[in-house]
Amino acid sequence: MKRIRISRCGTQLLAPSAPRRPFCPCTASLQQTCTPHNHRIQRRLQTTAAAFNAADTEELLPPTETVQSIEQQQQPQKQPRRPRKLSLESLPSPHPLRARESVKLAALRSRLSLPQHFPLPTLARTLVHPSADPDPAFNNASLAMLGSNILSYYLSEHLICNYPRLPMAIIFAAHDAYIGPKALATIAGEWGIEAAAEPGGEVDPGLLQFRRLNAGDPLPAELRRRTPHNWNVTTTHRILRSDEFGSAYSGPSSPQQLARKPIPVEEAAQSFVRALVGSLHLHLGRPTTKRFFRDHFLSRHLDLSTLFDFRTPTRDLSRLCAREGFEPPVARLISETGRASRHPVFVVGVYSGRDKLGEGAGSSLDEARFRAAAAALKSWCLYKPLDVTVPSEMEGVEEGDAAGAAARRWRPNMVDCGEVVV
Amino acid sequence: MSSRSRTVARSTRSNTLQNGVGAFILQCKRLEFHYCDWAGSSRGMNAFIKSYLPRFAKNHPQIEIVVSPKPRQHPVIVGHFINGKQREVCVKNMKPEGVREQVELLRDASGEKLKRTTKPVTSINESVRGIWSPFHGAKVQI
Repeated sequence: MKRIRISRCGTQLLAPSAPRRPFCPCTASLQQTCTPHNHRIQRRLQTTAAAFNAADTEELLPPTETVQSIEQQQQPQKQPRRPRKLSLESLPSPHPLRARESVKLAALRSRLSLPQHFPLPTLARTLVHPSADPDPAFNNASLAMLGSNILSYYLSEHLICNYPRLPMAIIFAAHDAYIGPKALATIAGEWGIEAAAEPGGEVDPGLLQFRRLNAGDPLPAELRRRTPHNWNVTTTHRILRSDEFGSAYSGPSSPQQLARKPIPVEEAAQSFVRALVGSLHLHLGRPTTKRFFRDHFLSRHLDLSTLFDFRTPTRDLSRLCAREGFEPPVARLISETGRASRHPVFVVGVYSGRDKLGEGAGSSLDEARFRAAAAALKSWCLYKPLDVTVPSEMEGVEEGDAAGAAARRWRPNMVDCGEVVV
Repeated sequence: MSSRSRTVARSTRSNTLQNGVGAFILQCKRLEFHYCDWAGSSRGMNAFIKSYLPRFAKNHPQIEIVVSPKPRQHPVIVGHFINGKQREVCVKNMKPEGVREQVELLRDASGEKLKRTTKPVTSINESVRGIWSPFHGAKVQI
């Protein structure tokens, strides 16, 4: 699982208010006010600081008259230099100013119930994948990175606080089911996102912009599954070194690595969802982002009990009872029918002393016993405390803002001593 | 957990959308109105576009609305839905009220094919009472 990063480190990712401002050469050093805490944040800062080059952006001026008038207002002292008229097709992605006229973007903003002051150019930027526009100032790479951290932060605190006894493997699987690549691509589809056939400046900014991978072509090297360094990947290794899904094959460390490379649709769709969450965090703040996460991600239906797959449930259960100081589990036959027939049914309960831990039905005595032990283990692992305070509810208390005033008092959560090691 | 642990997760499970439980997303994403300026069958449609459509568009900002002429043809409304399907409705010779009814029908549609529902409840959640079991409960003496 990824380490939780500091929550408010992304302000430098906000889109500049006017995208064609003349740039001060010392801006980059001034922007780095927060100390980079680990190598990923350092890398992110580098990505965003190297964003603009005034000479490059000058060439990208669209031939619209409005843009030119804005330019003239903002650069009165510059010597009159006629901007070269470039066609829209020469831009790698739609111009940010065109986002305000896009019907698709406005409809998307309303469909997701985002407030009207959420800027459309930012929404348009979240739809531009680095494979379409390699310029980090105009693509969603940085926003997607921030968004993926926020998503995994909110989901992991929800899972760990609400289900304190979940084994690590199940937490990884639940992450994959809620915010994994496939889930995010599905979510983007259910939001009504359409992909552009080919990215470009003339395309409607409400379409997903990325370079398509042609059918039959091999995946780019960054997305291909690689052989892990060590085949014996332990859970500790997965927690410390791997991503939030515990996958042995880690994908590209930054979406920027996919610049100008053809990618599948799912890759672009998931980066859009992540970037949208990141931009919501930057523009609308934490409470709105949390509400958005609750409404669009946590509200989806996932039965956690279907994620379990026990190999030796009876042995696990007896080890668990020994650890917790319960009496050793005993399987007893509750009822049966048709023992000599073709379809016998046995109902077996697992008892510890006088307490029934679980019950299962099967067509043989052993099958019923295993099912009963698995049911007992599931009911132990899926224990859910009644009153839970997740850490992000307490954010803003020390700052004394409005959200902090409404925040509840911190009640320590239950921490389990861990899963059974057999 | 050591690498020899016996609790493993199943390979991939996906979660399912419960539209309206958290956020509600209107399934109709785009409505296209095709009209003809000349033909008489478009009279109701043209009146609808002039009088009702601005208010409808204002009340439903989540629907993208496209109005385009289609000369010498009957007027058509095309609804595009989130699941990728589209549905066309011909509104020839209709009064503006009738056109409005058709538009609202498209707005409320889910885009799925029309199906006959025979069961009173369709749910992805487990039933609260559970499946009836002959092995449990009070024994009935005959």
